[in-house]
Amino acid sequence: MTNDKLCPVLIGTSGYSYTEWVDSGFYPQGTRTPGMLALYANVFPIVELNYTWYQMVRAEAISRMISKAPESFQFAAKLTRTLTHERDRNWQQELKLYREGIQPLRKQLAAILVQLPPDFDWSRKNRYYLAHLLDGLHGFPLAVEFRHISWSRDTVFAELEARRVTMVTVDAPSMPDLFPCLDIVTNPELFFVRFHGRNIQGWQSGNMQKKFDYSYSEEELNEWNQSHLTSLRRKAERGIVFFNNHVCAQAPENGRLLQTIIQKQIDG
Amino acid sequence: MDRSIIHFNITDFAVAVERLCDSSLQRIPLIVASGEGVKARTLVFDMSEEAYQDGVRKGMRLSLARKYCRQARVIAPRPPLYRKAMTAIVKRVVPYTPLVEQGEEDGHLFLDVTGTHRLFGPAPDIAWRLRKEVQNDLGLDPVWSLASNKLVSKVASRMVRPFGEYIVGAGEEDTFLAPLPLSMLPGVTADEMHILEDFNVKWIGQLAQLSRKQLLVPFQRRGAYLYDASRGRDESGVCPGKIKNDRIVEEYIFEEDTGSYSEVRSALTRLVHEIGRVLRHKGIVGQRLGVCLSYGDGKKTCRSVSRKGGCDNDFILRNLALSVLDKAWGRRIRVRSCALICDRFLPRSQQQTLFVMQNRKELQQKKIITAMDMVNKQFGDGSIYLGTS
Repeated sequence: MTNDKLCPVLIGTSGYSYTEWVDSGFYPQGTRTPGMLALYANVFPIVELNYTWYQMVRAEAISRMISKAPESFQFAAKLTRTLTHERDRNWQQELKLYREGIQPLRKQLAAILVQLPPDFDWSRKNRYYLAHLLDGLHGFPLAVEFRHISWSRDTVFAELEARRVTMVTVDAPSMPDLFPCLDIVTNPELFFVRFHGRNIQGWQSGNMQKKFDYSYSEEELNEWNQSHLTSLRRKAERGIVFFNNHVCAQAPENGRLLQTIIQKQIDG
Repeated sequence: MDRSIIHFNITDFAVAVERLCDSSLQRIPLIVASGEGVKARTLVFDMSEEAYQDGVRKGMRLSLARKYCRQARVIAPRPPLYRKAMTAIVKRVVPYTPLVEQGEEDGHLFLDVTGTHRLFGPAPDIAWRLRKEVQNDLGLDPVWSLASNKLVSKVASRMVRPFGEYIVGAGEEDTFLAPLPLSMLPGVTADEMHILEDFNVKWIGQLAQLSRKQLLVPFQRRGAYLYDASRGRDESGVCPGKIKNDRIVEEYIFEEDTGSYSEVRSALTRLVHEIGRVLRHKGIVGQRLGVCLSYGDGKKTCRSVSRKGGCDNDFILRNLALSVLDKAWGRRIRVRSCALICDRFLPRSQQQTLFVMQNRKELQQKKIITAMDMVNKQFGDGSIYLGTS
């Protein structure tokens, strides 16, 4: 296998501000929340912002956060839940607030992650909504993560390709209605991978600590690299990979492991 | 470790609960007003967002509120119903943390979820889940905020109400507060605001620039609070079970608003007896006694005094209450009601002092109180109580 045409990949984790990462040893003992991003940036070049899903982004908070990371550091920001999971409020107004709030991040923004809920299926109403949402976010680098299997169809991939929107490749437990792991690149500028872990029981428990409690073995990551990542890297200009299995700091551990695997591949 | 304090606030709690019980109240301006018995003095207890937008405020006279919002429907408050709703909310919250502090039927809750991440995940996720549970199970939609202390989480809730959420990262407390007006800072009295305005201090950030020494001159002991609060520092813990049961409250509402000191003093003396009787019945002593005067304009003045070791003696309680009344008495507005509040309880010691003999007066007082309690027990509460002269 030649490595000449493989694009660069940035590896990071979904969120960085976890108290249990101090307990687990990723951050030194005594690390307080304000000091976490700077320490994280010493290890990973990119992070996925989770808190932007829980609350509307606010420009002043984003500005404060950026100041704690190096200028070369990259961010992916989740779209707020009021635009994806809880769409009962005035979503146009929410979208306006999000666009305003995210502005300070613009230069270091790798992608906005539109993570859709499991019950968001390929219905006419949902298709219209997604189309309008993507229109409303025009101008930002976008990545869409489907959770419902009904979106796995060529017309969807073609539409995303036409819009130059990245479709997120997910590694998650294999379940009937869950969107499958596909190494399809809909945006040649960027591919986006999320590792959720493969804890089936945890996934069904509804408890976040169980859902994302999984550690990938070296064999699993090697296999994934060979079967999916290498293929994705051939089709895009660059890629970002996030580990969401944050429990007990398994995400940064797996991230570092994948970094090593990729480095070995580069070194030949 | 940084603390994770979640604050839930169900905006216009009484209105939200009433609307749950009666769907016809949805989407119409609603005023919950207390004191229907004396209609001319009825005050606004709570109001819906629509009424608020029209200018109605808590504590306002109903007659005035009606002028501001003519189309509003007025209903009487039902405190037992609000207590029931609060209990239902707490029931959903308690599985996540035992440290839950609740207000009095007002839809406010503080939760300390520090150290629960291994069980339930990150604090924002807990807050979001709880809000969803309360929304799905009870139909109430709380505002939530997350911060490293109670003060900042409370301000954050104020920022987003009536809908939304706010997470203030640890270490960002002072920068979060700095651009906000002083009125957003909890615990700052109107008098303190006036003094600060005289110094041209209008924003919390400006207040935070003043040193402890500078604040000590105009505010004395309160200067320390203002110094810490303006920097977003609050070490107070989340006190579980901090509810009305932890204190004894007796209130007297005057037939007509009064400006007579002796009339208020007389009413307080009766309240002292009620409080003393409850203390003795429960076998406890109170270490703090507070007087709260409610005025005709809806404002309140509350003052308190502490007594180390506590007491349940009506004579001592009366002296304490009257000394607090002196501190609280000052406004030239007629008093509508006065409340006597006793808290910080201790179990009453059954042991006599070993060396210091009780003086004759104290023994006499004790006998009188015991006799009065017996009379009241036999002929009903309030049959006999201390006079004022």
